[in-house]
Amino acid sequence: MTGLFATITMVVSLAMAAWALVHLVLNRPMSRALHSSQLVIAALFIVLAIGGIVQMIGSDQDFARAEFVGYLVLSPVIPIGSWWWTRGDRTRIGSAIIVVVGLVMPVLVARIQQVWSGGG
Amino acid sequence: MAERSTGGARLLVVVYAIFAIAATARSAVQLFTRFDEAPVAYLLSALAAVVYIIATVALSRADRTSRRVATAALVFELSGVLVVGTASLLFPDAFPRATVWSTYGSGYLFIPLALPIIGLWWLRRTSPKA
Repeated sequence: MTGLFATITMVVSLAMAAWALVHLVLNRPMSRALHSSQLVIAALFIVLAIGGIVQMIGSDQDFARAEFVGYLVLSPVIPIGSWWWTRGDRTRIGSAIIVVVGLVMPVLVARIQQVWSGGG
Repeated sequence: MAERSTGGARLLVVVYAIFAIAATARSAVQLFTRFDEAPVAYLLSALAAVVYIIATVALSRADRTSRRVATAALVFELSGVLVVGTASLLFPDAFPRATVWSTYGSGYLFIPLALPIIGLWWLRRTSPKA
């Protein structure tokens, strides 16, 4: 859960946030590619969820399992929801939404890792 | 479904939705796995979660009734974060486990305090009467 793939999800999310921030600052209309990148994030988090749950089943470590699964299962909902919410929105607000989502996802990963290692 | 809200509200809705998802998931786990540890704190968290859901849905719709519901939910939230925040500082023993509103939401970067203020300001600024 603290491996390379989790780091990749964080880096890609931050890259998406940075990309959206460029659109926001330059006041460029949101591109299809930027909009679709939210689905890439969603896919990464679905893989993370499957991987995390498999890893959990194979481990006898003591930690808050319900929380762990809850975070993993719900995290893909955020980029999927924002993808749906920003469809057809080419304004700066659309880009701002993607910035927020790109910043929230790494925080979620950090929180998931905290739960995994036994912290509250 | 009512028309989707526009402008800054769309961003506000996303932040609210993330909070609603997080608060609901967290309080569901707390209620089902260790309710007896801190029933008051966990019930408050669940209540806060429900209000976040109501606020998210109301803000996402643009009609008049939704605006009233949103205003009510936001006023409730602001009161909640102020009352619980103050109470958690004055009577820390009553809150053995943190709620989303404890110490004015400091565990969540004070976002629980900022959100209703921003939301109410936005509702006022975009009021059709103004």
